[in-house]
Amino acid sequence: MEDYFSYTAKLFNPDEANQKPEALKGIRVLDFSHVIFGPIAARLLADYGAEVIKLELPFYGDLWRPATYWGKYWKHSNPIWHNITKNKYFLSVNLQLKQSKELIYKMAEGADVVIENFAPGTADAWGIGYEKISQINPKIVFLSCSTYGQFGPMRYFPGWDLLAQGASGVLTLNGYPDTDIYYKLPDYVGDFVPGNFGALAILMALYHRKKTGKGQYIDMAQTEGLMRLLYHYTYHSVTKEAIGRTGNTDPTMMPASIFKTADDKFLALACATADQFKNFAGAIGKAEWATDPRFASTLERLKPENAKALTAMAVDWIKSKSCADIVKLADEKGFPAAEVADDYSIAYDEWRRKRGSVVLFKDDVYGNLVIAGPSAQLSGTPSRTKWLARPLGYHNRLVLKKFLGMSEEEIQDLEKKKVIGTFDDRPGLKPPVYYNLSEDPIYNYGKEVRK
Amino acid sequence: MSPKEEIYTRHAAKGSDRGKILAEIMNAEGKPEVLDDILVLDVSSANFAGIICASFLAEFGAEVIKIEPADGDPARQITPFGVTVKGVGIPFMFEGRNKRYMTLDIKNNPEDRKIFAKLAKKAAVVIESFPPGEMDSWGIGYRQLSVDNPGLVYIALSAYGQYTDKAKESANMPDTDITSQAGSGLPAQMGGTPNEPEPNSWPLRGGMWAGWYVSGLSAVLGGTVALIHRQNTGQGQMVDVAGMDAYSSMVGMPATIGYTWEKARPRIGVLDFILYPYGHWKCKDGFVAIAAPRDHDFRALLKILGLWEQEDDWRYSSDRIPDILEQALHLHKIIEGKTLQFTSDELVKMALNYSKRSARSKWRGGGVPIVMKLMTPEEAMKNKQWQIRKAFQEVEDEKLGKYTISANFVKMSESPPRVKWVSSEIGKDNEYISKKYLND
Repeated sequence: MEDYFSYTAKLFNPDEANQKPEALKGIRVLDFSHVIFGPIAARLLADYGAEVIKLELPFYGDLWRPATYWGKYWKHSNPIWHNITKNKYFLSVNLQLKQSKELIYKMAEGADVVIENFAPGTADAWGIGYEKISQINPKIVFLSCSTYGQFGPMRYFPGWDLLAQGASGVLTLNGYPDTDIYYKLPDYVGDFVPGNFGALAILMALYHRKKTGKGQYIDMAQTEGLMRLLYHYTYHSVTKEAIGRTGNTDPTMMPASIFKTADDKFLALACATADQFKNFAGAIGKAEWATDPRFASTLERLKPENAKALTAMAVDWIKSKSCADIVKLADEKGFPAAEVADDYSIAYDEWRRKRGSVVLFKDDVYGNLVIAGPSAQLSGTPSRTKWLARPLGYHNRLVLKKFLGMSEEEIQDLEKKKVIGTFDDRPGLKPPVYYNLSEDPIYNYGKEVRK
Repeated sequence: MSPKEEIYTRHAAKGSDRGKILAEIMNAEGKPEVLDDILVLDVSSANFAGIICASFLAEFGAEVIKIEPADGDPARQITPFGVTVKGVGIPFMFEGRNKRYMTLDIKNNPEDRKIFAKLAKKAAVVIESFPPGEMDSWGIGYRQLSVDNPGLVYIALSAYGQYTDKAKESANMPDTDITSQAGSGLPAQMGGTPNEPEPNSWPLRGGMWAGWYVSGLSAVLGGTVALIHRQNTGQGQMVDVAGMDAYSSMVGMPATIGYTWEKARPRIGVLDFILYPYGHWKCKDGFVAIAAPRDHDFRALLKILGLWEQEDDWRYSSDRIPDILEQALHLHKIIEGKTLQFTSDELVKMALNYSKRSARSKWRGGGVPIVMKLMTPEEAMKNKQWQIRKAFQEVEDEKLGKYTISANFVKMSESPPRVKWVSSEIGKDNEYISKKYLND
């Protein structure tokens, strides 16, 4: 039989991923959302082949376009926004005009999914909510994203990822016990996780629609998405106590902490089971720990007094060894250990590039950029990147001509009436200054361009 | 809902019916279940990413069979401080949603592998977390099962994935939450600034299972994409989730920042690296979270807190991004000086009163400074918002008694997820399963 890893190397071969079929081909999505939560739900669908048309206001655009890390732009764009909005069609429409709404209604006729994350009630007030869109297209799957949900007394409270972390209890779990410092989870997890939940709900609704022909309305509250991740509520209901903050130690396994190694690196090491603990104890020459009555059984080991003793012994051993030596030993003997990765190592680790979880992407407008691959690799219908984010209104012509069958004259009329528009001079909205849009065949879709 | 509902948006629906109507539409009772034609076999072992993935499918209506040896999945003992109810750990109880339990020892018993293979012929989804290649070496991996069942969606969870040289070299390394967090770079962005004393300055672990839940969510999302492809074409496929990159790929920022900045972000304590003010501050009776990152939100916050004299300070007028840590901490202290004078309720009221007026006036620039009392999970459970939305559910296990879980994580008008029952007993459904699936 062929070696397993040579079989899987062919099955998942990243070089062939772009030729494989796309699971969501033919699904059209209208994305009214902004910032991260809604746009991520839409992007995930685009990654798997859906046609996602992102609507933005002319000359303003998505609030997150200029929101880059510490104000650092890359080729006049926000580098991290490329990850949040890749693979989409960028259409810039002034929602306040009647003619714009007619455009949206026309697009809604042929759409399968709508995503919005305005303050609850706003989409309906503007005539682009579920009530109106489902009259035009009863088979529509409509996702509304918010922090607290579309009903309930807090529904009109504004929110961000931070507030969802604060309202669910997630924020108060991070930090050291007996201090008065809490930390929020980084990287807007409170948007990305609910965004993935939103995409999951849409996929389920599409699956259901295929079986029954029925569309539906989805109300995704980001706080409730985060709540789904906490067994802490059950712990409280059973024990009447709180888990609280436990610093760098995971109280569900033992040992399980972030440690400092002899070469001043940070390493996470854990033993979730009796077997893993036996492997660990054997590997470090302390086989007797695995028969010590305090540590032999998993539940005994987890008791706070035993856990404390064992963690102290683990600290001593780990600070006498280099990080690389411990990880090598863990690979050989079969216990979990990993150096704490950071932005730089994630961008440059060879294995991530080979796996396709980090990709050096060559884009027609922006050139080379390293971006994240999918968090799940599919062998048959893989997620893929086709293009990065685009300047505001970049696909106006393509969307209106190709998807709505409009003529150049009609489009010029819309431009004159300011129904559609593009960017101004702000970074995040405009193309790189050296990029000549007049020669870009997609920006000028349907027109003659000189190359 | 309540007659005195506070309106903080220009566009609240007229009348208060919309909330009531929506609450009724979103009621799950009697609604169809999306995956009622899907059989899922979960043979994951000591891996909650697998268990979580299976739970999501079960909540959407799939028949999920949890398969474990007679002494149970070791995941049953992965529990805070070793707390169990009759030997069952808290996270296992929390995730024991709508599942069937069957005993098979596929690791050690070749006969049991045959029974598993027979079940897998009827299954739409298999979930496993053994070392990559182990199921294959037992003759029940994706390569073999997909011969008789080409529509099979096979979800594999591991530390480094199912392919690449690295995956082969590290195939024996089990996947846990804390190593998944570390390998994915989450702790690198959490914790105190470099000048703080140890261990405050160290990378900090996220205080919940950020690694395992992100892996489980990634697995179910990939699996559902695969189910849609199966629905359209009849074709199955393999879904591969690696704990060491699931989080960094989901949030995406680390790779792009590492490449464009050519270094890693430092840890910046309670500050944020894009938005400011965006964090939490001490007040008279606890903590409040404050988000006022847009220019007009920030100015509104200054007004509310009586800090308007700071407005034309060069440090804040255009550059509140905390790339100069000292400068950002300076403003943090100034704000703290004010928040300490008020209770959380007072601060929330002050912000909301301003926002309400702001929402109705086109001259205030729409500044909406958001202030909220920081809640612990235990406090969140008492919040009326979540009672009305049924975000928490009291459930009863036949053997373990009553307890509370968070459920109904998304509301859907036609085919919502739901928790019908909880259970955890090893081998409870052996008979049911052999009658239903193994009789022929």
